[in-house]
Amino acid sequence: MSYLPRKTLLLLGSIFSITTFNFFLFHVIPGDPIRLIARTQKLDAQQVAQLRKDYGLDGSLFSQYLTYLKNLLHGDLGYSFSLHEPVATVLFRALGHTVLLLTFSTLIVVGAGIAIGVFAGSRQGSKKDSMTVIGALVFWSMPTFWVGMLLVFIFGVWFAVLPISGITTPNAVYPTYLSYVLDIGRHLILPTLTLALVDIAFFILITRTAVVEVMGEDYMLTARGKGLPRRRLVWRHGVRNALLPVLTASALYISALVGGAIQVEVVYSWPGMGLLMYNSVLARDYPVLEATFLVSSIVVLLANFISDIMYRVLDPRVTVSQ
Amino acid sequence: MSLLTVRDLSVQYGTVQGGVLAVDRVDLTINRGEFVGLAGESGCGKTTLAMSIPNLLPKYASIVSGSVEFEGKDIATFSESELNTLRWKDVSVIFQGALNALNPVQRIGDQIAEPILIHEPGTSHDEAWRRACELLEAVGIPSARAKSYPHEFSGGMRQRVMIAMSLACKPKLVIADEPITALDVMTQAQILDLLRELSTSFDLSLLLISHDLSVLAETCDRVQVMYAGRAAEAGTASEVFGAGNAAHPYTRRLLNSYPNINGERVFIDGIPGYPPDLSQPQIGCRFAARCSEAIDVCRTSEPDLVAISATHSVACHLAGKSVTHG
Amino acid sequence: MSEQFISEVVADEAPRHRNLFQQLWSDRMGRVGIIMTIVVLVAAIVGPVIWAFDSSAVGADASSILQGPSSAHWLGTDELGRDVFSQFLEGSRVSLLVGVMATLISTIIGAGIGISSGYFTGRLDTTLMAVTDFFLVVPALPLMIAMGAIFGQSLTIIIAIIGLLSWPRTARIIRSQTLTLRERKFVPRARSLGATNWRIIRTHIIPHVLPLMVANTILVVAGAILSEATLAFIGLGDPNRISWGSMLHFAFSSGAVGRGAWWYFMPPGIGILIIVLAFTLVGHAFDRINNPRLRDAA
Repeated sequence: MSYLPRKTLLLLGSIFSITTFNFFLFHVIPGDPIRLIARTQKLDAQQVAQLRKDYGLDGSLFSQYLTYLKNLLHGDLGYSFSLHEPVATVLFRALGHTVLLLTFSTLIVVGAGIAIGVFAGSRQGSKKDSMTVIGALVFWSMPTFWVGMLLVFIFGVWFAVLPISGITTPNAVYPTYLSYVLDIGRHLILPTLTLALVDIAFFILITRTAVVEVMGEDYMLTARGKGLPRRRLVWRHGVRNALLPVLTASALYISALVGGAIQVEVVYSWPGMGLLMYNSVLARDYPVLEATFLVSSIVVLLANFISDIMYRVLDPRVTVSQ
Repeated sequence: MSLLTVRDLSVQYGTVQGGVLAVDRVDLTINRGEFVGLAGESGCGKTTLAMSIPNLLPKYASIVSGSVEFEGKDIATFSESELNTLRWKDVSVIFQGALNALNPVQRIGDQIAEPILIHEPGTSHDEAWRRACELLEAVGIPSARAKSYPHEFSGGMRQRVMIAMSLACKPKLVIADEPITALDVMTQAQILDLLRELSTSFDLSLLLISHDLSVLAETCDRVQVMYAGRAAEAGTASEVFGAGNAAHPYTRRLLNSYPNINGERVFIDGIPGYPPDLSQPQIGCRFAARCSEAIDVCRTSEPDLVAISATHSVACHLAGKSVTHG
Repeated sequence: MSEQFISEVVADEAPRHRNLFQQLWSDRMGRVGIIMTIVVLVAAIVGPVIWAFDSSAVGADASSILQGPSSAHWLGTDELGRDVFSQFLEGSRVSLLVGVMATLISTIIGAGIGISSGYFTGRLDTTLMAVTDFFLVVPALPLMIAMGAIFGQSLTIIIAIIGLLSWPRTARIIRSQTLTLRERKFVPRARSLGATNWRIIRTHIIPHVLPLMVANTILVVAGAILSEATLAFIGLGDPNRISWGSMLHFAFSSGAVGRGAWWYFMPPGIGILIIVLAFTLVGHAFDRINNPRLRDAA
């Protein structure tokens, strides 16, 4: 089978697996979801029976599974007990905010991470290289949420120059649309910076390793022999080849990014998926927790799929149709 | 006047304490239009010597003494940017193992055109591409294939691409480092013919490195045999490789050897031992331990390269005394 | 055929572990990492014995809560007026315990899957790698949070969750190493001499994957400590035990950051940073020793 259809089939298979895994995790292992709900909500026996029926939990495990799949396909992710809204509605709202946060930090991380990684990797063994590596390892060793707390303390409390909570100023009146956008922008600075500081470290390290490996390749000696200026040598010949392994390694980054986003959203009360997940843990709102887990997993699967396809496009040795 | 004169060159790998002199006080001369061959087992320093000419040594290696005079200028003292004006334009290299020597993600046309664009500023991209196509035709590759990537070629074809690339800026000296190793016999012969033919038509000097003595004997005007970082013998191809002419016992042994499946030469008369460990100080002749003709002086004093005729020189205490021995 | 004979005939050069510590010590980053690890270990073992933390010693009134460093409380007090310094020392134990125990679980699973997959290949390999890849792409933190919320919050459960979700990378690395070892001369030779699979794995595969496994294990400890801290920060830590993560959880949720109580949230964060960095430095030093290409040229 050719590459794209095979890969798409694999993606669908993975999504199916994660859905099934999710069913087991939330519906089978704890007994049933109603038992989870009953842990925190005060329900009498009649209400429990009614809920069981509503959820189609009075049937066999297999029929429950079918009901679960059917609901998912209809976009029915259940009802949030703490927010008194359908989960899908809550989730959709939060997803946009998370995407906003991730877009900006990923742009910074990829851009700055590659630039600094190339800077260090092309000077392997030099003082500048060692300093970069040590700096990156230090940032990579910090818990993301703690970096967030530090920045809150420095910029929000000590200097008190930037907002440290939420996505907009509470009760603000915006004379123009631009002032509204600017307010969001100001709220975006610290969360983005926090996420970027830790994740750039990761990107620097993988880019550096890839560049170091590539710099030792025979074709780099050829390029040196051609008398190319250093800049052209590193970027035209080195980086172009180093980007492929970086792309592969960045699949792992996607998963780390999701983890980082949860922490950042909690620290800054950024109303995205992560905060939703955190609040659902505190309120033991299992339908919301389940849905956030499922959606974040599927998003990561999709991102991996895209990075696989991009690899194919960038590497002339393999063609997309292969 | 010679094009290149290497004098008393020493190249060290690693740090001062644990360093290894891969090339130890070696001379080499190449005249204009001349084909010179470098012979020796792997690890004898022949590639290091050649790579130190345009200073393409790895960063943990450095020239510790001696000079490399190219057209009268000592380029061993050149800075990286000064060397860059000379690399490929004056001295180009045909690298060993052409698969990895070509950038896997760049079209070969662009790779050939690249040095033209760098060294001849003002050349348009189209012009450079056109010349790359001409060069490909010259090495027997249809110019339509300029748009292909290296992995789309066979080993022999990639070596042709490499040759085309080495000629891009019409250099004065081409260094060919084992250009035909790892190719099948038929292809070897074709590549060698091509190399000879183009070297003549492009009017260039060639430094050919090979462990295959027959290739050197056939192609080169002069040859130099190296052993353990030192020059053992130098002379015209017939003086060194001609029947019964070799003056150094090592050269004679080399001529009696055959390549094994790894392409390394194995001594037919089962010569014991390996080349010496160069990280240790060397006393006496470096070949003495493996030499069946060694006498006491060989183990205590190192022989210098001395002329035994106008063009032929050898580094052996026995030279001149036991010529009949060979 | 005696086993003695087999092992003589198929003897392969045993990898040199002897100089490992020396090599690690001669690597500058490795040395710093070892020293930092020893400092934290000593603090975790000795510290709480000398400065025992009394969780019931809450402040009597509002004037004793979130107080800055003083001679009575070297690192001030928390939101309940308890001593932060002794709490900080106490917390190091849980962080280390979870890190090491979870890594143990993860390494056993990862190495088991990696070696079986790489050694037996075929259908077993395909199946195991499908499972591995699945857990490799599923985002770890959301899954840990989900499992933590479902299974509850004891130390054992946290160790189990982190351990059960940290093995896929180990499995991948060990598998590829096993695959190359399998092709080396001594494995077919040992097999032709009648050695059992288990014997080959024990005598030829495990000793050779060990250096790689150790390097990877050290990096997994770093990751596990970070995971514990994050889970505790989210509020999924063991409510009966103090860890650096749970200290940060309470510092955050009590608003200590907003009130500028740096003495409360700085020490646990720096503690995590130091121990994670220590393991990371040692792990990277190991990598450099195993993979000379990454080594800085002399």
